[in-house]
Amino acid sequence: MIELDRVSKRFGRRPAVDRLSLTVGRGEIFGFIGPNGAGKTTTLRMLGGILAPDEGEIRIAGIPLARFPEEAKRRLGFIPDRPFLYEKLSAWEFLEFVARLRGVPPAAFGGRAQALLAEFSLSAHADEPIASFSHGMKQRLATAAALIHEPEALIVDEPLVGLDPRGVLRLKDLFRRLAAGGMTIFLSTHSLQVAEELCPRIGVIHRGRLIATGSPPELRRRAGEDLAGLEAAFLALTAEEDGGGSAAEERR
Amino acid sequence: MNGWAAQTLALLAPRRAALFRHGPAGGGVRPLVAAAAGGGFAAGLFWASRRVLLHFLGVADIGDLLACRLLAMVFAVCFALLLFSAVLTALGRLYLAGDLPLLHALPVPRHRLFGARFLDTVLESSWMVVAFTLPVFAAYGVVFRAGWGYALVTAAAIALLSLIACALGAFAVLAGVYLLPAARLRSAVLAAGGLLFVSLYIAVRLLRPEQLVDPEAFETLFAYVETLRAPSAPALPSSWAAEAVEASLRGKPQAAALPLGLLASLAAALVALLFPAADRFYFDGFSRSQTARERRIRRRRNLPLPGFLPGPAAALAAKEIRSFLRDPGQWTQLFLIAGLLVIYLYNFGVLPLERSPIQTGLLQNLFCFLNLGLALFVLTAVTARFAYPAVSLEREAFWIVRSAPLSIASFLRIKFAIYCLPLLVLTEILIVGTNLLLRVGPFMMALSTLTVLCAVPGIVALGVGLGAAYPDFKAENPGQAVTGFGGLLFMTLAAAFIAAVLALLAGPVHRIVLAGLHGAPLSPGVRLWAAAACGGVLLLGGLAVVLPLSFGARRLARAPL
Repeated sequence: MIELDRVSKRFGRRPAVDRLSLTVGRGEIFGFIGPNGAGKTTTLRMLGGILAPDEGEIRIAGIPLARFPEEAKRRLGFIPDRPFLYEKLSAWEFLEFVARLRGVPPAAFGGRAQALLAEFSLSAHADEPIASFSHGMKQRLATAAALIHEPEALIVDEPLVGLDPRGVLRLKDLFRRLAAGGMTIFLSTHSLQVAEELCPRIGVIHRGRLIATGSPPELRRRAGEDLAGLEAAFLALTAEEDGGGSAAEERR
Repeated sequence: MNGWAAQTLALLAPRRAALFRHGPAGGGVRPLVAAAAGGGFAAGLFWASRRVLLHFLGVADIGDLLACRLLAMVFAVCFALLLFSAVLTALGRLYLAGDLPLLHALPVPRHRLFGARFLDTVLESSWMVVAFTLPVFAAYGVVFRAGWGYALVTAAAIALLSLIACALGAFAVLAGVYLLPAARLRSAVLAAGGLLFVSLYIAVRLLRPEQLVDPEAFETLFAYVETLRAPSAPALPSSWAAEAVEASLRGKPQAAALPLGLLASLAAALVALLFPAADRFYFDGFSRSQTARERRIRRRRNLPLPGFLPGPAAALAAKEIRSFLRDPGQWTQLFLIAGLLVIYLYNFGVLPLERSPIQTGLLQNLFCFLNLGLALFVLTAVTARFAYPAVSLEREAFWIVRSAPLSIASFLRIKFAIYCLPLLVLTEILIVGTNLLLRVGPFMMALSTLTVLCAVPGIVALGVGLGAAYPDFKAENPGQAVTGFGGLLFMTLAAAFIAAVLALLAGPVHRIVLAGLHGAPLSPGVRLWAAAACGGVLLLGGLAVVLPLSFGARRLARAPL
């Protein structure tokens, strides 16, 4: 469903993403983890069509994103790490705006909007200006907007930041249900616990390069130590790339 | 240094750092260009003020009175602007600034925090008014050959007037946030200010001040002199400031002591009362302004948009209209445009065409043709304010458009269409209205309305296209978005475009008008020339639409978010 083929992006002379190749299948939840500044957000922005890669190709459902951006984006939902929205609109108007932009039939909009607002506990705030929303409410509204056109794949950057524990639980549950229904979810997160819990397959990016992919147990084995959790494996893998010591040393 | 001063300086440190680090970070020629533009403006204002004062002093008997009355007016306007600016700045610095939650969490006494913010407000709200009036006061000094006493008295009067205005503004804001949340109070002040400015502007224009220099109006001289001699609002601080400066201009600095003393004692009394009031009410108001109840927006209120619009166009048009109507910083500008429209049409209504030595028919057509350029320049200014910042105003929410299945080119075409229609209507109203007032014939009426039809899309596309090519997603308001290089480029290219359109049409129109006035038939050469000129205008208009939009789309697609 999502394919990255030797995708690179530079900011000036600094490579942010370096020849990244990856395939994520239909109905899969793929977790993307890495230290700060590793290239996670840049990769997700390229997948969302917000940033153009310097080299390589991205394909969504087999459609090259660079050559047919509208066709490819029609199949995508995108949730950025910082949910900047149109503050003067109400939540309902914002959903209506995104729905029209994404070609949702007017007859289908009302029902879908009501269901999504209820799903994200925003029904009571549907007619309030977004300017009055908290960060968590904006994050939930951005997620609802990304689902209004029933996309085939969802690109999510740090989806759980700013959400309360109930919101986190509900969102994790929603992601599992959507994936079970066939939607592909590509998410980046700082929370290794979330990645381990939610993603059957995880990619570790460090300094713009994909250094490991696999299930959490595979990553632990790959780290080459008798490690109890993904956190230790993550530290070991990234320390290895830095030419540093063992995971135990890193944790000290 | 004692604790109070040290803490106040520490509270002002981020502001100081931002001020001094802002300029050089931009680097290059921009600071030089800004300095040159500022210097040029100041020199121009000084020159104009000096000319006016010399002209006044040349009028026998009443010249001196006129110059002093003008001084009183300058101080009255200054005081009004200082008050308005103080209210807005105090609202921003005391209640709306992003760093306030951090500062209120610090173990700093509230009156010190208030004191630092008040000092900041005094400097921020008054520097521009002071900078703009300095050339005027310098012209007074030069024309009246005033000495250092004048400079000192003027500086003291302006400083005290600024302090009084800020203290009054701060009092108004302290009380105002109890009635309305800070953000809505700011909107209300902006709206009231806009309405007041336009009303005053229209009122002054309708008084026809040009009649004062009309020799035929001199039969009212005695009544006029009496009016000039009458004291104006003697209880206003601006009148005290004018009185003090006038005394120093006439070489009697000792006579300035009383009005300056009045100003100083009022300033001291206001500041002395302000701090206890702030200690009692400031934090309470700040706290209330953060917990204000949010108003609701009525659901599914359909906007009157044409049903045939495709989804993305309807979505963007609805979003644009709603955001515009809910932003007082934007819609209050409509007052200014309405005022501009009234004055523009009025000016043409009172043109004394019948008293001109040039044949009236020729003059009507000449004015009509020149008015084409003038109306298009007005359109350029309005485009710079509304259409140019259209892309920048998407701000950080632009990711929504970038991730949508909509090409940047389509997005710009929709933006262009949204702004083109209302701006076309505005310009046609200007042109048709002035043509009716000038009583021009059918040929000039058709020519000017059709030229506007061809030129307006070009100017609006230039605005939208260059605004997209040089976006400023961090701009806090539309005015800020247009101040960069792209804005300058837009104004220059729009002026060149208007000049090219007028240059293409000038020759054949002149021939056709002359032939019409003399009842002579048009030669085939003139007909061909006219057809070529019309074709040229059409081509130019078309290029002005296509090229900037595609340039803007290319640059915007590569712009970092």
